[in-house]
Amino acid sequence: MKLFKHSCSALLISVASTIAVADTSVIVSASNSNSTLDQTTVSKIFLGKAKRFPDGSQALPVDQDEGSTVREAFNTSVLGKSDSQLKSYWSRLIFTGKGTPPKPSGDDAAVKDLVAKNPNIIGYIDSSAVDASVKVVHTF
Amino acid sequence: MKKLALSACIAASVAAPLTFADDDLRINGFLSVGASMADSNDAHFDGSDNQGGFKNDNVLGLQFSKQINDSTSATGQLVSRGADDYSTEAAWAFVTYAATDDLDVRMGRLRIPFFYYSDFLEVGYAYNWVRPPSEVYRLPFSSVDGIDLTQRFSSGDIDGSVQLYYGRYNGDFKYDGFTYGADFRNFTGITLNTNMGNFGSRLSYHQAELIINDAPAGSPVAGIGTFGPDFQMTGQTTTFVEAALTYDNGTSSMIAEWTQLDYGTAAFLDDTAWLVAYAHRLGDISLHATYSEQKDEYESGANGAIQKAVGLGVEESSIILGMRWDYDSSTALKFEAQYNDETMYAGVDGDSAMLYSVAVDVVF
Repeated sequence: MKLFKHSCSALLISVASTIAVADTSVIVSASNSNSTLDQTTVSKIFLGKAKRFPDGSQALPVDQDEGSTVREAFNTSVLGKSDSQLKSYWSRLIFTGKGTPPKPSGDDAAVKDLVAKNPNIIGYIDSSAVDASVKVVHTF
Repeated sequence: MKKLALSACIAASVAAPLTFADDDLRINGFLSVGASMADSNDAHFDGSDNQGGFKNDNVLGLQFSKQINDSTSATGQLVSRGADDYSTEAAWAFVTYAATDDLDVRMGRLRIPFFYYSDFLEVGYAYNWVRPPSEVYRLPFSSVDGIDLTQRFSSGDIDGSVQLYYGRYNGDFKYDGFTYGADFRNFTGITLNTNMGNFGSRLSYHQAELIINDAPAGSPVAGIGTFGPDFQMTGQTTTFVEAALTYDNGTSSMIAEWTQLDYGTAAFLDDTAWLVAYAHRLGDISLHATYSEQKDEYESGANGAIQKAVGLGVEESSIILGMRWDYDSSTALKFEAQYNDETMYAGVDGDSAMLYSVAVDVVF
């Protein structure tokens, strides 16, 4: 397995950094007053079932772009759903006017930027990209 | 192009981070195309027979939505159905006012929440079948003009919603192959949806005062009013109840749905219909099996004899075996085989037949 991983990164040097097993962090702005969020809360916010943070402020989830490794990890580990399942979940809400999926908003850097500038936005990025502009509220 | 739009949008959000809320016009759509072939004409299938059906499962839908301000949004959905010769209809056209985080008030043209799948009846991508089983999904109209209230609730692991609506339906009513003019007044109902973990349940009750005009010549119902007051269609209250249970753990999913329709007139037959379906997901492939049945009930005594004599009465069941392949995150390819057994059709003994269907469903 180790050997396989090794040859994999050797083959795919350009994406080796995303293949390497790393934690993913769910982040909010450093000025957001919530300290930690459990998986259920994060999941409810990203599935449109909760519209506010536990402290009562509005929560606006953003996704990474489709196809990103971090997004797949988030969908599987936190939401417990595959891409197709999520698409089916949202198609049931979109076409009844009952909800819209989080907006795809780019990669680690773009999401971090959005989150840092708006205390209502919640996103997720590779833990290695976390800096002081954002606050980690959940990791997996 | 997509990248460009995306970076433009990121740039805009970065420039004005406090107005992040989506205030742009959203356009979503769905498209289903299908073909089917029956092995004989011994049973009746909507829009298909042993010469094939290439139109009935084709549906195109376009939805526009716009957040007007923090609490108000507008949604319109235009649907063009092959089954209606591609005439375009507004399936939804409503304004939503979010009174609180958990209470929505909607006014306009709404989907009647008769069934578990009613809200996304035509979005083939949202379910595994080529089309919902017609034994249960048998009500020939799906939208009402009116107003509704939806209250969502959440407590611990349980969440759900209660929906109340009131309105009127004025339009076509198809029954056993004939189209009648209908005016359904004081149309009202309540729906309770509950989810807990992998389990879900749905209960709903609906009622309306049915006025049927324009019974086409040759239809069983034409002139049926002359048989007496029990056969009038002048505003008698008809009721519909539904109950469904669902389970989905990501790999296995199940639904059982039961419905009962009780007409206030003897001109149409009361009936009961239910289905059970199981699906197993293996990565991008889902295999599913469904049993559904529908049974008309004659009234007792002379009224029942009249109902039978004019040619009313259907009793049928279907077994559906199918496969869905998600070959892209927004496209599904479906194959299915349906065995339809009509124990009774138009008041006399029926027969059985197979229907083979294929469909492609896209959302965008």
